[in-house]
Amino acid sequence: MSYLADDLKEKGNAAFRNGQFIEAEDWYTQAIQKHSRNPLIFTNRANVRLKLQRWDGAVNDCLKSIEITGANSQNHKAFYFLAQAQLALHHPHEALSSALTAYDQVRYPLSPAAKISPKDLETFSAFVLKCKKAKFSIRDRDRLRRQGDLRAELEETLETNKQRDLDDVSRQLENLTLGQVEASERNQEIMLNFDNKIAELKTVFAIVDPANHKPREIPDHLIDMITFEPMHDPVMTKMGHSYERATIYEHLKRSPTDPLTRDPLRMDDLRNNFGLKAACDEFWESGASEWIIDW
Amino acid sequence: MASMSSKRLQKELTKIQGTLPPGITLVSAPDLREWVMDISIIDNPIYPPNETYRMRFSFSPSYPIEAPEVVFVVLAAPERKIPIHPHIYSNGIICLDLLDSQGWSPVHNVESVCISIQSMLAGNTKAERPPGDAEFVRSNRQRPRDINFLYHDPKV
Repeated sequence: MSYLADDLKEKGNAAFRNGQFIEAEDWYTQAIQKHSRNPLIFTNRANVRLKLQRWDGAVNDCLKSIEITGANSQNHKAFYFLAQAQLALHHPHEALSSALTAYDQVRYPLSPAAKISPKDLETFSAFVLKCKKAKFSIRDRDRLRRQGDLRAELEETLETNKQRDLDDVSRQLENLTLGQVEASERNQEIMLNFDNKIAELKTVFAIVDPANHKPREIPDHLIDMITFEPMHDPVMTKMGHSYERATIYEHLKRSPTDPLTRDPLRMDDLRNNFGLKAACDEFWESGASEWIIDW
Repeated sequence: MASMSSKRLQKELTKIQGTLPPGITLVSAPDLREWVMDISIIDNPIYPPNETYRMRFSFSPSYPIEAPEVVFVVLAAPERKIPIHPHIYSNGIICLDLLDSQGWSPVHNVESVCISIQSMLAGNTKAERPPGDAEFVRSNRQRPRDINFLYHDPKV
């Protein structure tokens, strides 16, 4: 039975390579009907569904593939495809978590036989950053909206209070407990008071609202000097300079030298920079939305 | 990798459009594959102060892991000549270690390359072409970064 499924999977792969995504999806579906316990067929179908922008289907296939291999087994492709679909579905939290799992699985393979392509670390690293940015901007939008709501509510309350006070004055005027001149003075006072409060409210929100501030730049020590992007997995050279792991690996593959000093440098010489990693994480979590994300 | 070079160049461009050191100007950056820069040299009698030299930067998708290709170009109007220097061939090819694959480092950028070339010219004392210039210009068909230069005189 599974021999037939492999045949169908190969047909799917061939169609995929030719860019015939609809046909490829169909072959994979047939393969799954023959043999539904092969995680690779699900990952392949997830990949083709990403091409077809069938995000929900892609998520299901990735989850199925991960379920078959077990959540703690090497399946970095499934986690990477899952992250892509989740990001497309506007779930950046879930996408980030999947992308980080994929990244960790190529960084620390769970089995020595893991098939990892040399580009994976770099691709996944870039995708982790993309998820972080998406998460950051969504959180920022939410916060602004919430703040907008709060401000609208407060203004409404002030407006209601003002109206109540004005009505009060009119009533007293009718009851003749208040003279004409005194009443108009009271009204003026109420209006002035209201305007002041609204202005003060605006100032307070302007102070906390980054839209009214000039954005600050991300500090240089969190920026990878090769890609000019913020780092998320920094490593340190013997000289003490830090770079993003995936990009310095890419450089060392071509030239085993320290980019700044040209001294010989091998991948084994690089050390995790946990302190800087914590600083990078803190930056993303800080909610300091006045930072420029695209440096 | 294509996205790596375009992101990085986009960021360099934003920075370059802000400020550049004196004597270095961005002429055009029509896309993220080829930029044109002008440099002028002050305080060196070999290069008249009113002369400006034009350089063309070409970037591969692997920039900045791979070096950009940088050459001087000739132009009639505005007039741009190839500056005379023992490391610059009369067809505009520059023999500079930081531009070949061994000497390049990804922490370099367009601005730092311009500064290096500018200071290489500013410090020059010999108004001459590299040895074998005529022969090289006639016979060379290689791209600059594929040429295995012999550094005739590392002191220049």
